Amino acid sequence: MELFLKKLMEEARSAGLEACEAYVVERDSFRVMTTEGEIVEYKSNAARGLGFRGLLNGRMGYASTEAFDEEAIAQLVKGVKESAELCEDDDSVFLYDGQDAVPEMNLRNEALSAIPAEEKIARVLEMEKHIKAYDSRVDKTSHNTIQTGSHTIRIVNSYGMDRSFTEDMCLMYGQATAREGDHIATGFYGVAGRDFAQLDAKAIGDEIARRAVCQLGASAVPTGHYRVVFLNEAMADLLSTFSGIFSAQNAQKGMSLLKGRIGETVAAPCVTIVDDPLLKDGLESRPFDAEGVPSQTHTVIEDGVFKTFLHNLKTAHKDGVKTTGNASKAGYASSVQVAPSNFYLKAGKRSLEEMLRDIGEGIVITEVSGLHAGANPVSGDFSLLSKGYLFKDGQRGQAVEQITVAGNFYELMKNAREMANDLLFPLGAFGCPSVDAGELSISGK
Amino acid sequence: MLNQVLAQEVLNMALSTGGDFAEIFVEDRRDNALILQDNRLETINSGRIHGAGIRVYVGLNAVYTYTNDTDREGLLKCAKQAASAVRAQRDGIVQAKSLTVLPVNDVHPYRMLPSQAEASKKADILRAANAAARKVSDEISQVTCSYKDSEQDVLICNSDGLYVTDRRVYTRLGCQVVASSGMENQSAFEGPGALMGYELFLDKVDPAVYGEKAARTAVTMLHAPQCPSGVMPVAIDNGFGGVIFHEACGHSLEATSVAFGMSEFSGKLGQQIASPIVTAIDDGTIPNQWGSENVDDEGTPTTKLVLIENGVLKNYMIDRLNGKRMGMAPTGSARRQSYAFAPTSRMRNTYIAAGTDSNEEIISSMGDGLYAAKMGGGSVNPATGEFNFAVQEGYLIKDGKIATPVRGASLIGKGADVLMKIDRVGRDMRMAQGMCGSLSGSVPTNVGEPMIRVSAMTVGGRA
Repeated sequence: MELFLKKLMEEARSAGLEACEAYVVERDSFRVMTTEGEIVEYKSNAARGLGFRGLLNGRMGYASTEAFDEEAIAQLVKGVKESAELCEDDDSVFLYDGQDAVPEMNLRNEALSAIPAEEKIARVLEMEKHIKAYDSRVDKTSHNTIQTGSHTIRIVNSYGMDRSFTEDMCLMYGQATAREGDHIATGFYGVAGRDFAQLDAKAIGDEIARRAVCQLGASAVPTGHYRVVFLNEAMADLLSTFSGIFSAQNAQKGMSLLKGRIGETVAAPCVTIVDDPLLKDGLESRPFDAEGVPSQTHTVIEDGVFKTFLHNLKTAHKDGVKTTGNASKAGYASSVQVAPSNFYLKAGKRSLEEMLRDIGEGIVITEVSGLHAGANPVSGDFSLLSKGYLFKDGQRGQAVEQITVAGNFYELMKNAREMANDLLFPLGAFGCPSVDAGELSISGK
Repeated sequence: MLNQVLAQEVLNMALSTGGDFAEIFVEDRRDNALILQDNRLETINSGRIHGAGIRVYVGLNAVYTYTNDTDREGLLKCAKQAASAVRAQRDGIVQAKSLTVLPVNDVHPYRMLPSQAEASKKADILRAANAAARKVSDEISQVTCSYKDSEQDVLICNSDGLYVTDRRVYTRLGCQVVASSGMENQSAFEGPGALMGYELFLDKVDPAVYGEKAARTAVTMLHAPQCPSGVMPVAIDNGFGGVIFHEACGHSLEATSVAFGMSEFSGKLGQQIASPIVTAIDDGTIPNQWGSENVDDEGTPTTKLVLIENGVLKNYMIDRLNGKRMGMAPTGSARRQSYAFAPTSRMRNTYIAAGTDSNEEIISSMGDGLYAAKMGGGSVNPATGEFNFAVQEGYLIKDGKIATPVRGASLIGKGADVLMKIDRVGRDMRMAQGMCGSLSGSVPTNVGEPMIRVSAMTVGGRA
C-alpha cells in the first residue's frame, strides 16, 4: 500500500493535479448468522478500497478502486482528471492541510479479534436458546447475528497530511416470531459496542422474545387524533431520517426548510440537539472527519433555538463560517458530503412512567417502519407504519399494530411537550429519549 | 480473469477440510456516475469494484469469505480461510470436478458500451432532464439529476464443474425534483434504466420526458391538501405501482424466508393465496430489462417463473442452498450486490400480469376512495406480511370521479389479506425500475402491474 500511494501521488503530480488526496478504508470482519440453531451465514473477510480526489483548475475530481495494480494508478489519475475537467461546480473547494492536531481517542479493543470463532458462535446460539426459552408462544427465531470487526480509515494528501484511526466493534442482534392462534408478531433487538461482555446472550435474547410476545393480540385502533408518545427507539429512527435538514449542504441546495433561520426558535424549549463525535463509546465516534478535520462537539439546537448547520470545508466557506468537522463519506468511493456523527436529542428529567402518568391517556409508539418510503426528508412529512400500545391512567393497555402515525418533523420539533430521561442510542449513532409529541393523526381501522 | 486450472486448484483448497460443495464468484466492475444539481455538473465519479467471493457448503451450512486480491496467492489464501471455518465430520475429501465452460446465450445484447460514450454526452442527458424539469414551473426549487452506468464482468465456477462468465451492462437516469413554496417542499422522482448500453438514451429514454414528469408530480403535490386517513378502496396505477406486489407478496415468496418457514406463504404451494383474477410472474429472461440476467449469481440460467396463477401459489424463488434445504430445484433467482455478499434468492422483473378490466370502469365503480397514480418505495416484514409504502402522487376519488390531488399518503396492510382483496386487474401492464435491498445487498429489480384495485386498504394520511 505504501508503494501504491507513493506512486499514485507522483503520477498525480506529473499529470498536473494541483493537489490530491487518497482516502483508504481497510476492513476486517467476522459475522455469523443463525436461524433455528443452524448457521445460515458465516462470513470472514478482509477487504480494502481507496477513494482518490484531486484539484485541477480549482475543480474537484473523484475516482476510486479496489484493485491495487499499475492499471489502477492510471485509472485513478485519468478518472480524477476527467472528472475535474467536466465539473461545473464553481464553489471554492479545498483539501485540508492538517495543521490542527486531532484529539486523542481510544476506539480500539484488540481483544475482540483474538476471541475464537467458536466462542462467538456459541454466544449467538446461546442467545437463540434464551429467545426460545422465554415464552412458549415464541415460535421461531431468525437473523440471529454476531459480528466483530475493525476498520481503519487513513487520509493522505499532497499537503503532507497523513492521519489514520482504527476502530474495533462488536454487535449481536436477532429476531423472534411469536404465535398465538392465527396472530403472528415479530420482535427485533440488538446491542453494539466495543466490549464483548456487552453482548449478553440472556439479556439480549430475553428482550428479543419479549418484544415479539408483547405484540401478540395487537390490533389496529380506530382512525383519529391521539396523544402520541414516541418511545426513545422510535424517536431515534425519526431523528435519523430527518437529520439531513441540519446539513448545510442540503440548506444551500434549497432542501432544508431551516435555511436562513439560524438564531430563530425552531423547536420547543425542551428540544436540544447535539452532534458529538467525541462521545465515549459512540458508534460514530472518531478523532477527525472525512476531510481530516479534527472532531468537535456542536449544539445544533439549544433550548429550541437553532444554533448551527453541520458543515464541511466547502459548505463552511460558502456560508463564511468555520467547518464543524462534519465532512462525511458514505464509503471510500463516495464524494465528500455532510453528515452528523453521534447525533442526539438531550434527555429530560422525568421517567417515561412519570410522563405517561401525567398525560393520562394516549398511545406509545414503540416502532416505526418503512422510513425510506413513508417519510419525506425534504418536506418533513411522515406517515409511517407503526406499532405500540395504548395507555390509560399511565398504565400499559392493549398492544397496537397495523396503524400509521402521520405528522411533520418540523412541526413535531415545535410541538414536543417533554423529553423523558431515557436517552438511548439503539444500534446506531442516533440517540433520543422518549418524547411526548402532543397530538398526531393515526390511521387504523 | 481466473482460468479453469487455477479455479480448480482454488476450489480444491476450499474443499480441503471436508466441505461438500465450493463456489468462486469473481467480479470486475467499472462504474460511472455523474450528478447535476443547482444547474451544474457537481460530481463526476468513476470506480472499479474488484474482488472474489468463495463459498463452501457443509450440509446446509455455508461459509463465505471474500478478498480484493484475485491473483493466485490471494485466492488460495481466501479459499484456505473459508476451509478453516469448515468443521465437517466426514470420511474423505470431495474433489472439484474438472471445469467445463458453460456457453451463455446472450439475450441481453448491448450496442454501445457506456465506457465508449463520451462523458460530455452523458452530461448532456442530465442537462436535458434538468431543463425540462425547470421549465414546468417557477416553483421548482431544486433538480438533482444523476446518470449511472456500470459494466460488470462476472465469472462463476463451482466444484460441480461449472465455469461460466457473463457481462452485465447497466445504464440509468435519475431525476429528483423539489417544488417549494418557501414554507413547504414536495419532491418527486423518476428513474428509467435498463440492462443495456448507452443506446438506452439513443433509442428509448428521452431524458426531458422524465424530468418533466417528476416536476409535474412535485408541483401537483405542493398544491395538494393532506390525504385523509382511514380504510377505503384504493386503485393503484401501472408502472412503479407494482411495488405493492413486490412488497406485499414478492419478498415473502423468496426462499430466503420460505425455506425456514418464516414466510406467511410457507407450505402454501397449490393453495389459493390471492384473488382468482391475480396472476403474478417473476421473469429474469426479458431482453434488456433492468432486473434481467443471462445467468444468476450462482451461474444458473435465469427463468420465467409463474409465482401465482389465477390466485393459486405455483412457485417460490429459490437459490441453490435454500433449494437443498427445501428439497427443490433452484430457479435462477440467486443474486447479490457484489462479491462481498453471499447470494440468496431475490426477485428479478416481478409483475402482476394484465387482466381484463378497463381503467375507466375501475375508477368509476369504486365510489369514494384513493387513486394512487404514482407510488414511492416501501418495505415488508416477511414473517408477518406487514408492508407499508408511500404514495408519491395520489388523488381522492369521490363518487367514482377524480376529485382532488392529495399528498402525504401511505398504504399499509398484510400481504395475504391484500392479495385476496384485489377486485380489479386492468389491461395495460407496465414496469418500472428500482433498487431492492435485502440480505444479499442492493440489486436492480423491475416492478410492474396494470392498474389494479384493492377493495379495502388502510390509508395513512394526516387529515
